[in-house]
Amino acid sequence: MAKTLKVGDSFTHVRECDLYRPIYYAAASGDFNPIHIDPEAGKAAGLGGNILQGLCSLSWAVEGVGNFIDDPGRIKRVRVRFSRPVAVGDTITFVGTVSKIEAGVATFDVAAKNQKGDDVLKGAVVETRV
Amino acid sequence: MPIDKKYIGKTYGPTTYEVGVEKLREFAYAVSGGVPSMGFTGSGAPHSLHPLLHDAKAAAAGPYGAIVGMAAFANVFNIGPFGQAVTDPALGINLPMLVHGEQEYEFEAPIKPGDVLTTTGVITEAFDKVGKDFLTVVCESKNQRGELVVKGTWTAVIRRA
Repeated sequence: MAKTLKVGDSFTHVRECDLYRPIYYAAASGDFNPIHIDPEAGKAAGLGGNILQGLCSLSWAVEGVGNFIDDPGRIKRVRVRFSRPVAVGDTITFVGTVSKIEAGVATFDVAAKNQKGDDVLKGAVVETRV
Repeated sequence: MPIDKKYIGKTYGPTTYEVGVEKLREFAYAVSGGVPSMGFTGSGAPHSLHPLLHDAKAAAAGPYGAIVGMAAFANVFNIGPFGQAVTDPALGINLPMLVHGEQEYEFEAPIKPGDVLTTTGVITEAFDKVGKDFLTVVCESKNQRGELVVKGTWTAVIRRA
């Protein structure tokens, strides 16, 4: 039974990019781009080391909403801009807030910040069927 | 070098992907802080993972009658034509300089085991701005009944050396 929502409802969802997260995500998704799984390749690309796949960050944003509404099958739309790489060791805090409920659709504005307070996603929006 | 606008409208695919339940679980485990494996760690599903995404019994009693994929599982199959576009020699993209700029998905139906998803893509935008090149590919995945399951809008940003 999905949760009943109202404007202003919010959740916090925390995920860590632990040492092997980019490798686990590569295995599950097929994204084995060397900048994600090889620290040397990441350094050569000017990233200071290997970085997490952006789509894993998107997955975390969607996961947070699905858990909060207690029905991951109701996700209708997601849009994100990848504004800053997630490095190994980063902890990302997602804060989602219902900004609108209209025509059977709830819109969550989702902020995603690393432990320094920098946005790793910008303008992130997740919509769900209510 | 800017991508020639004459490629707007160029199509890629179709690519085909058959959804399996263990693959859905592995993806969900990896995203949810676990290991994409059923056996090696013995730790099972991450505790925060929603039951509809991995627990057959709970999912059978739930709204979809079976395990469904994380919506973001679209990352695995909707990418096909986008991957073909960015590696298309005609476009001349310098791959090591490519970053994923933006992503949007619109979901029409939950992703289910047994779905056979066929994805086609089309270049909808190619432009340069502040010394970078932008390429947008819209990819539509339909199931074996021809129903749209997910539409993805993939935007790559290519830095110049």
